[in-house]
Amino acid sequence: MNPNVSHSRAEQAEIDASARWPVTVFLVSGLLWLIAGGALQLAANIQLHTPSFLADCAWFTHGRLAPAAQNALVYGWGFNAAFAFGLWLMARLSATTLRHGGWLFVAAKFWNVGVTLGLAGILGGYSTSFELLEMPKHVALLLLGAYALIGVWAVTTFSIRNTENIYASQWYLFGAAFWFPWIYSIAQVMLIRTPVRGVLQPVVNAWYVHNLYALWFLPMALAAIYYLLPKLLGKPISQYYLAPLAFWWFVICSAFAGGARLVGAPVPVWIPTLGTVASFSLLLPLIIFGLNFMGTVSGRFGHVGGSLSLRFVLLAMGGFLVNVILTLLLSLPRSAEIAQFTLLGTLRDWSALYATFTVAIFGAAYFFLPRLTGKEWRSSALIKAHFGATVVGLILLVIGYGAGGWQQGGLLNSASVGFADITAALSGWHMLNTVGLGVLLVGHLAFLINFVWIACPINSQGTANVSIPVPPALALAGKEGHA
Amino acid sequence: MKNGLIIFLGVFATLAVSWAGLLLGAHKQIGSLPQFKDPIEQTLNPAPLSGIADQGRLVYQDLGCATCHTQQVRYAGFGADIERKWGERGSFARDYIREQSVLIGSSRLGPDLRNVAARPYASAEFFHGLLYAPESVAPGTNMPAHKFLYEVRSLNGSQSSYKALKLSGTHAPAEGSEVVPTYRAEALVAYLMSLKDTYNYPDEQGLNAPAPAKEGGH
Repeated sequence: MNPNVSHSRAEQAEIDASARWPVTVFLVSGLLWLIAGGALQLAANIQLHTPSFLADCAWFTHGRLAPAAQNALVYGWGFNAAFAFGLWLMARLSATTLRHGGWLFVAAKFWNVGVTLGLAGILGGYSTSFELLEMPKHVALLLLGAYALIGVWAVTTFSIRNTENIYASQWYLFGAAFWFPWIYSIAQVMLIRTPVRGVLQPVVNAWYVHNLYALWFLPMALAAIYYLLPKLLGKPISQYYLAPLAFWWFVICSAFAGGARLVGAPVPVWIPTLGTVASFSLLLPLIIFGLNFMGTVSGRFGHVGGSLSLRFVLLAMGGFLVNVILTLLLSLPRSAEIAQFTLLGTLRDWSALYATFTVAIFGAAYFFLPRLTGKEWRSSALIKAHFGATVVGLILLVIGYGAGGWQQGGLLNSASVGFADITAALSGWHMLNTVGLGVLLVGHLAFLINFVWIACPINSQGTANVSIPVPPALALAGKEGHA
Repeated sequence: MKNGLIIFLGVFATLAVSWAGLLLGAHKQIGSLPQFKDPIEQTLNPAPLSGIADQGRLVYQDLGCATCHTQQVRYAGFGADIERKWGERGSFARDYIREQSVLIGSSRLGPDLRNVAARPYASAEFFHGLLYAPESVAPGTNMPAHKFLYEVRSLNGSQSSYKALKLSGTHAPAEGSEVVPTYRAEALVAYLMSLKDTYNYPDEQGLNAPAPAKEGGH
């Protein structure tokens, strides 16, 4: 840290100490949801090749189980994890402690009660059936109220920052903190409180779903990558001067790309066309991200073996690339004709939520948890199991959803193939996905056990057999406001 | 970037423009699409849903049918929806103004349902069979059975209900009992039977038809 500014900045240890309990609470709730949501998702996927599985109980019929799983993963795991990571990183980069953290416990409580009620609502038959807005409408108020408490923390922490510059990760965190409540309340008002008419509803829904992934989850992942790469590699982001351009270009295009989910749908044709154009414009920020990230990694590949966080970050970069490719594939009319309505659509959303966001959060968690708790990871075998399961699961699911979806699209478009034959052809892919989801679940359990070990206050000093290399000091730290 | 205010204004403007441009723009364009009055028949199209069908729409919603079924027929030349006889024409925006919640769906693990009542096999009996024991009417399907929408009751010597499902083979209930739909099942089937977009609106006819083949070749 630059000694000239250090007196006005809170010490890193002090920041970490102030963030310790709020972050732990959010992360623990998130992980429990990740396991629960993963189990629901596994069960829902088993139903696709074994339809009699849990079919006799209305609560677990596939049409309720699959959205419940998705909501548990998005609002249970995704948001809690984003809160944990975002609050900590915002405090660190703003070089200020997280103040009055007690309120965050209240917010965490309300948020998780909201998600629980929402899931019970979906399973119990009060679903609205709008994608990612299935929770009964009164739950939305609870979630928004809880979010207000959390988002305000991120914004105030940002506004009392002690740094001169604002680092790239902060742009994304600040933007996401601001965008989510807005898109969520617009969607609630326009779809559920005072519903708009006819096909405007799918337009609003597509806009919300796309923005939730592109303006909430992906920015969180990008913030993690922008922060962790220089930290772990000990060098500044290369071509950093391009990062602002990538930020603005990425968010403006993403905000308009939602219409591409409606290619061929009975909506005014300018909506999907605008979406396609906006999706294509994402290629420019993608190139800049490539220059920023790969330029930083190049020449330091030796570090990848030594740092677990770095391996997860690289995996998340791969996930981001897959997500952009699928977004393009599903928005170009020529390929969307085959790809839309298939497992490829599932893969697009899953690659944003899981392959990019979740994997980046794992990378960040392996970095910040030892610093927050002052302990080291207990079991290197569990770490290896987690990383191995993540890699294997990702590969299996990309193949299962990707190749399966492509075959499904081809069969759907040949009118001579009966529907029973499509189902039969897909059943093998569904089984492969079941295996993939099961492998991921095992990895999550390994992470949870290790997490409990490190976070549990009763456990004194972890028996450290994995050491985290202390990253070299950053030459850029003072200049870029990098705490 | 050093200035927090500029970031804030930019972040604000990005979403404001997207919301106003996309959602409000679309709302201005088609937010008040009216029913079409047929000049000869003097009927309003699309006709509103009947009461029980509208309740069935709520059952469709709460069971999450949209997880696996779309309700949008793609226009000729884009996919094989017309060739699959999922509809005689692509769906128009006007078709949907009768429904309070429009669930066009995004996954086709099951077939499209927008026009399902216009297909030759469509009948209340077929849909009840499909919901109670999918394999009995659609061999090879992976649709889950919705037995919880039906009541199996013992006849105790009395006459079988006129609503009882006609099931045979392994799907039939035990001797001396019958399977009758609950009200929810009847509403859902009424909704499915209402999914029929066969009216051809003169205004929209040209919108999503394929370009006519050039004749003469000049």
